[in-house]
Amino acid sequence: MFETSSESPAPVRVVSEAIKDYIDRLGPIWIEGEISELNERSGGMAFMRLRDTSADMSISVMCYKTVLASVQPLPANARVVIYAKPSWFTKNGSLTLSAKEIRQVGVGELLARLEALKEKLALEGLFSADRKIALPRLPRRVGLICGRNTDAEKDVVENARRRWPSVQFEIREVAVQGAAAVVEVSAALSELEANPEVDVIIITRGGGSFEDLLPFSDESLVRLAASCTTPIVSAIGHEKDSPLLDLVADYRASTPTDAAKRVVPDIAQEISDIEKIRDRMFRRLVSTIDYELNQIAQLRNRPVMKDPSVMVTSRRDEIKGWRDRSIRGFASLLEIEKKELKGVKAHLRSLSPQSTMDRGYAVVQLEDGSIVRDASKAKAGTHLRIRVAKGETRATVNE
Amino acid sequence: MATKDSKPSYEAARDELAEIVESLEDGSATLEESLKLWERGEELAKICQEWLDGAKKKLDAAKKPAE
Repeated sequence: MFETSSESPAPVRVVSEAIKDYIDRLGPIWIEGEISELNERSGGMAFMRLRDTSADMSISVMCYKTVLASVQPLPANARVVIYAKPSWFTKNGSLTLSAKEIRQVGVGELLARLEALKEKLALEGLFSADRKIALPRLPRRVGLICGRNTDAEKDVVENARRRWPSVQFEIREVAVQGAAAVVEVSAALSELEANPEVDVIIITRGGGSFEDLLPFSDESLVRLAASCTTPIVSAIGHEKDSPLLDLVADYRASTPTDAAKRVVPDIAQEISDIEKIRDRMFRRLVSTIDYELNQIAQLRNRPVMKDPSVMVTSRRDEIKGWRDRSIRGFASLLEIEKKELKGVKAHLRSLSPQSTMDRGYAVVQLEDGSIVRDASKAKAGTHLRIRVAKGETRATVNE
Repeated sequence: MATKDSKPSYEAARDELAEIVESLEDGSATLEESLKLWERGEELAKICQEWLDGAKKKLDAAKKPAE
């Protein structure tokens, strides 16, 4: 526009006028945001701030009250579309949008946009079940993102403490509605996600108007939540409210109390479960031991173990049996021998010369017992033994 | 016969005891063997009993504070 240097600087008025010239050439534009800090002065003008819904950026807006009247009364954090022309105020060097027309973005329109966003994110697979991360059984620290001094915060903290008294919280109190909500919730989420001690993050706020809950359907926040590796539990509003954060969260709690129940186990339940398991273990062991005791008792009661003398008596009986048999066997053998002897005796007797001698014959024998069958063999002086039927006599040959 | 310091496990003792009872019952062992088997059986039965009684006592002791 014009040359300046340290030697020939331009005065403020020249610069400001030049900026005004430049800005005045800009045509009017349509711009969307959220109204805050609405200020209706006594004069004919109204001032407000138009905030971006996702980023921490805002711009001042002014208009005639008549322009604003067409949309009054506006709800808090109203979404609006403004037809405005940027204006430069040379007096204090500020830029303001001069609104010629203000339209509230209707709920219908917002819902339609939400629906479209939901479809888009669903197509990308951001809500799919296999993306869900399982909640830890017992987190070291629980991240909690909630409004300042809210019932939601109290519900989560109190219920979690009741279930698990030593639960540790990392609490971030942030704006949970209005234009700042997306920025602050996102910042808190990023911070907790980066904390390695935080094993689960709860994002909660109580019920509110449709507009109040809009930050929790913001695309940038939903994408950030989807990218987190720490499991996220959402507990936003009431059951019927369904911000997109619910769909991307790893668990959607119906209430802050429900969220508390999900992130920590119930200590009483845990104790009772362990007691039950312990009891089962004992009963199982006792029955095993009883069974074995019975087995051993049965073995010990078997006759061979209970009365080991059987071992000896059975053998003694056996020996006795053999002995008896042996005696019997020997006796019968003796009997046979006896009979045989008798026969031999009878036979012997039948061969005996006795009967001959009974008839008067005699048997003459020499001293050596040989029988004299030839008289010439008995010389004079030979001693003879003469056996008669009864007894024996001796004689000497005379001639 | 096993020495005291090489105490068999419960299962080993029980199985050996059962075997001994069976071989005593079938009566195939010599008297001398039988006598040895019976002595071993008595010893094993004692080991098993001690083992189980001890386990039961331990269990009872552990169970008390829970009650």
